[in-house]
Amino acid sequence: MAYDQDLSFVYLGTTKVIFGIGSSSQELEAEMNSLHCSRAVVVTDQGIIKAGLLDKITAGLGAKCVGVYSDIPQDTGIDVVDKAAAFARAKGADILISVGGGSVIDTAKCMCILLTEGGSLNDFEGIQLLTRPQLPHVVIPTTAGTGSEVTWAAVVFDKSKGQKILIVESFNAPRVAILDPQLTAKLPPLLTASTGMDAFCHAVEAISSMQREPVADALGMHALRLLTKYLPICVADGSNLAARGQVQLAATMAGWAFGNAMVGLVHAMAHSIGAVAHVPHGIANGILLPHCMEFNIPAAEDYYAAVAEAMGVRRNGQSDGEAARAAVKAVFALTKKIGHPQKLSECGVQEEHIIKAAELSMSDGSIINNARFVTGADEVLGIFRQAL
Amino acid sequence: MAEYKAFTQEWMDAWKEKITGSQEYKEIAKDWEGSVSITVNADPSKNVPETVYMFTDYWHGDVRDFVLCDAARAQTAKFVMSGDYARWKQVAKKELDATKALMQGKLKLKGDLTYVVRNIKTVNKVIDLLTEVNTIFPDEG
Repeated sequence: MAYDQDLSFVYLGTTKVIFGIGSSSQELEAEMNSLHCSRAVVVTDQGIIKAGLLDKITAGLGAKCVGVYSDIPQDTGIDVVDKAAAFARAKGADILISVGGGSVIDTAKCMCILLTEGGSLNDFEGIQLLTRPQLPHVVIPTTAGTGSEVTWAAVVFDKSKGQKILIVESFNAPRVAILDPQLTAKLPPLLTASTGMDAFCHAVEAISSMQREPVADALGMHALRLLTKYLPICVADGSNLAARGQVQLAATMAGWAFGNAMVGLVHAMAHSIGAVAHVPHGIANGILLPHCMEFNIPAAEDYYAAVAEAMGVRRNGQSDGEAARAAVKAVFALTKKIGHPQKLSECGVQEEHIIKAAELSMSDGSIINNARFVTGADEVLGIFRQAL
Repeated sequence: MAEYKAFTQEWMDAWKEKITGSQEYKEIAKDWEGSVSITVNADPSKNVPETVYMFTDYWHGDVRDFVLCDAARAQTAKFVMSGDYARWKQVAKKELDATKALMQGKLKLKGDLTYVVRNIKTVNKVIDLLTEVNTIFPDEG
């Protein structure tokens, strides 16, 4: 994978990562102390509470936990953030601890901005508007896929506009991510597979992005190695904490990779079909990834050849083109092996949905980083039809 | 060929003329509605003693206001872009991709990112046309 002669980039990875079985309850108080914080509001959702994942965490915090806010839906919104921030403000929080998946983590990220800067979230719609570090935020992810524990972007739904808004702020990266494999042990096989494919997709898209760079490539490549080996094990045996841990680490590495190098067409399409037909993000990514790779091959042979290498399917003497096609086949095979849906129609998607989603994809921020320039919605529709 | 000092009204007029004279721009920008302000942060060491504010307004392939302005008017634009002089100079010379600069925090954008992305060809064309203006930069003149 050669780089441009005038390669220039900024790599940011400011989040401290703590990994280990039991780390979520054992390390949290010490991390709060090192951040000089004493009043934590825990941000989570009802599913996490019902699954009993919060008990040890809040018990470990003792009196330092001044409140738990759990009214967070699957897709967060500005109204959700406003209510949650008001709750945390009333409790006098000096740190947020998010325990959950992407929606919970993004809610807490946006809360940090409101608790530090005041005002309304609408005032911060844009890119890199903040000028100082925000309220400390410790993330304890309960899925292994989004990478949100180490990224500084958040996506929230704005009801007044009827669309999701993107808030990208490097000053708002979580201070600490605690990766405890125990917290993902109860994820059912389909959720394990789809969140894992979300991470896989982050790695592939970062490696082939217009903004690709060597540090992100290194992280993305190792994420692919780990996911290829350990994701099928996690799906087959969710209680295998060693494998769960490797997949968690892969998701975090892929998070750093795409947080810096960005994602591309797969995410643009997944965001859009998610908005139009409510296809879960990880599932949409897993279905669309190999189809988008096929589309991108003319502009991404050497990048996908590297994907083939990481997946262990590159053979001696293969050209980059041959290796790239081997990578596409290997991704299809991986998704079948882990029982991941193969077609969007399995998720209730119909022709009318993909027509709308193809148009919407053209205005998604991810599309401008895609390896191959996308000329119009008709090209996107063609890929959607392949995946339907 | 005439030369223009960057961040002067004459320079802005020359840039506007390039845009209005481009048939390709008219086609690409037919869906764009709204104003963009550009804030160039002061950098006395580079002969930019005070912050410069510019207000540019585009409407379905036409160009309306294209003027130097004050801080208050700059804040009224649909999109507010800001950054240090050195970064803007890199963008104006096509040494730095504007999208990359935003993502990397080298420039700031306040406004609806999805709208910008949907119209990224318009943004790129406006920057391309700026590079056709023979510019004398403050630290080069």
